[in-house]
Amino acid sequence: MKRVVVTGIGVISPLGTGRATFWSALLAGKSGIGPVTAFDSTQYAAHIGAEVRDFVPALYVKKQQPGRMGRASQLAIGAARLAIEDSGIDLNSVSPRRIGVSMGTTSGEPLFVEHYNDARRQSGDDAVDPEWMALYPCHVIPNHVANEFDLHGPSIMIPTACAAGNYAIGYAHDLIRTGRAEAMLAGGADAFSRIPYMGFARLGAIAPERCQPFDKNRKGMVPGEGSGILVLEPLDSARARGAKIYAEVLGYGVSCDAHHMTAAHPQADGAIRAMSAAMKDSGVGVRDIDYISAHGTGTPTNDRIESLAVRTLFAEYAPKIPMSSIKSMLGHTMGAASAIEAAACAMALDSGWIPPTINHEEPDPDCGLDVVPNQSRRTNPKIVLNNAYAFGGNNASLCLGRYQ
Amino acid sequence: MTPRVVVTGAGVCSPLGTGIDEFADALWSGKSAIVPSVRFPGSAIAEFGDFNPTPWLGNKGVRVLDRGTRFLCVAAQMALSSTSLLQDAAGEGDPDLGLVCGTMFGGVHSIAMFDWSGLVEGPSMVSPMEFPNTVINAPAGQAAIKHKLRGVNSTICAGLGSGLHAIHYAAEFLRFGRARCLMAGGMEEVCEEASLGFIKLGISSRTGRTRPFAADRDGAVPGEGSALWMLERDETALARGTAPRFEICGFGTTNDVRPEGAAAAVGQALEETGIGPGDIGCIIAGANGTPADAVEARALRCVFGERLGRIPVSAPKAAIGETMGASGAFGAVAAGLALERQEAPPTAEFHSTEFGLQLSSKSQPFEGEYALIDALSCEGNNAALVIRLWKK
Repeated sequence: MKRVVVTGIGVISPLGTGRATFWSALLAGKSGIGPVTAFDSTQYAAHIGAEVRDFVPALYVKKQQPGRMGRASQLAIGAARLAIEDSGIDLNSVSPRRIGVSMGTTSGEPLFVEHYNDARRQSGDDAVDPEWMALYPCHVIPNHVANEFDLHGPSIMIPTACAAGNYAIGYAHDLIRTGRAEAMLAGGADAFSRIPYMGFARLGAIAPERCQPFDKNRKGMVPGEGSGILVLEPLDSARARGAKIYAEVLGYGVSCDAHHMTAAHPQADGAIRAMSAAMKDSGVGVRDIDYISAHGTGTPTNDRIESLAVRTLFAEYAPKIPMSSIKSMLGHTMGAASAIEAAACAMALDSGWIPPTINHEEPDPDCGLDVVPNQSRRTNPKIVLNNAYAFGGNNASLCLGRYQ
Repeated sequence: MTPRVVVTGAGVCSPLGTGIDEFADALWSGKSAIVPSVRFPGSAIAEFGDFNPTPWLGNKGVRVLDRGTRFLCVAAQMALSSTSLLQDAAGEGDPDLGLVCGTMFGGVHSIAMFDWSGLVEGPSMVSPMEFPNTVINAPAGQAAIKHKLRGVNSTICAGLGSGLHAIHYAAEFLRFGRARCLMAGGMEEVCEEASLGFIKLGISSRTGRTRPFAADRDGAVPGEGSALWMLERDETALARGTAPRFEICGFGTTNDVRPEGAAAAVGQALEETGIGPGDIGCIIAGANGTPADAVEARALRCVFGERLGRIPVSAPKAAIGETMGASGAFGAVAAGLALERQEAPPTAEFHSTEFGLQLSSKSQPFEGEYALIDALSCEGNNAALVIRLWKK
């Protein structure tokens, strides 16, 4: 089977656009969280979010009309364009049917559902534009990306909510590993929407001021938006064209809690099985893992259960493995989150630096791990795990390695 | 050697027939499930009237499941019970048993209703119980809880190709050894939101009749339901004493609106199977009565050439409507039945075609061990799957 490497990184995030800007903001411990501007949050129980504020769709969506697609598609095309440019890949050098797009999302294009309801509420059913529903189904996101760049290979959306980026990158890696594709754009995208915001606010899950994963006084997550896309290629073709190789995708594992739609399994059953499946798929063991990019949403339960999973699986090694949550800076970019985190993992492997968990003041003894508090750190990791958990009990861990 | 992935059971929840036998009988009788809609007066839909899932699911925990999720859970119940894999209600569930669900609109109605309640009653009044149904993977996640499926759980959206993609995805996971038994297929519910999308895509029939490949076709009619196969590696099935019925042989996919792009997907599926066009005994088409039927016909012509006129073709969407994300799975189920019977099912109310295809309103006998299922979509999401009767 072919080895698969990351040769391009595109990120559009609350912390900035482009690989270099994003990565320097992460290492500097900056925050992309602020007051919600996408809608009036007065009536909500929470008021902060992690929005992408500097995004100009027309800078990226060139072949298609940006106004004829949703924001998640626009963000995805933006991240894809950045990833392609970053990789230096000549798309014309590969048969278009051999390049595809594999994406993840939580909400797809939820703004069309909002438009639909707003129109009905304000002016009645006749005010509804049926086009909104034609542009809603989430497979339009990878299709829009494929159409923008004339890619005719597999186009697939795996909407496994907040773990979707890992599912999508893992699947793209499978397609290349088995020789079905010569290159893939893989990642995730989500647009800031009142629908998930309202739900998380109603659950009391949103933090009032900032995101403090693994802190004893953490008060919740912060919904966000963005897109992260990687260019994946077989190692041999990346080397043949002299591409910059950020990291190697070693494998991944998925599992289902089958326990509760929103709450994690109390013994972290699914989280443990996803991590061990990822390590098995990658041919590595617990002693090989040098860094864990945590799901780390900042909710009391997630961080406790995720820590339990790591402590259970890694036993005496657990305290020695740095594990940070970049959601402390980025908020929770939903279906894009694990893709953006995978991008950060690739950068960590390439640069030797690992990003911090910011806003960390008082360690939570119930977590009890090294969360790389507040300051980035140079550790030269060789093999890293990227964790992601989602509603529906969908868990996915992705394993990346330094290319040697 | 690559492990062989086989089909050992099926679950079908369709207005045409619930349960594989009822579905098969109705499909082979040439009936159509398209009716004047009770829920949306003035529309023709292949819909369930008042669907009662309790005979399959009991009462417990059913209330929180939305319409589409109920279809999925019922199909899963049947697929599990037909393969002796129903999980003990008191147990933890099998960590190597999972579900891959294709869908297109998923739970959009639940999502819209949740948002609507926030608009009307205020964001602080929405139901925390209904929030989980607003993620697109909710149906598969709910089915996992209902049936204790702790293994791979994925939701796949690839337009009208979703169901075939889901089957392929599951087969790949089984080949990689990431699960022991996986249900795979699709689910779709007809709701007003999905119907609007349908109309805008320009594929809705004005007359309320689906005439695949016919010169007088005027569009598709939406359908709903869920179809799942139980997939496992052949050695797993044999070791546990379960007879494999079909083998998943080859898959192909492209994203291309042109006929040659659609043909390439079929070509990939044949190539992966290691057969030529001459080995295909029957074709289960994705045709739904829209202009895109012409693209499909041209694509099949590219692949099969002159022989196309002699291969029985069936277009089950005439009977079950356009079930979108589930349609590939329904096609696959029909193809499996066709291989077992060595008879392509009738295309309901078929009278003529302008494309020189061998369609019929009656069942058509054929000889051959391979069947092709295609989902060649107007949006460019093409998928094709080749299966065959299992033999050692």
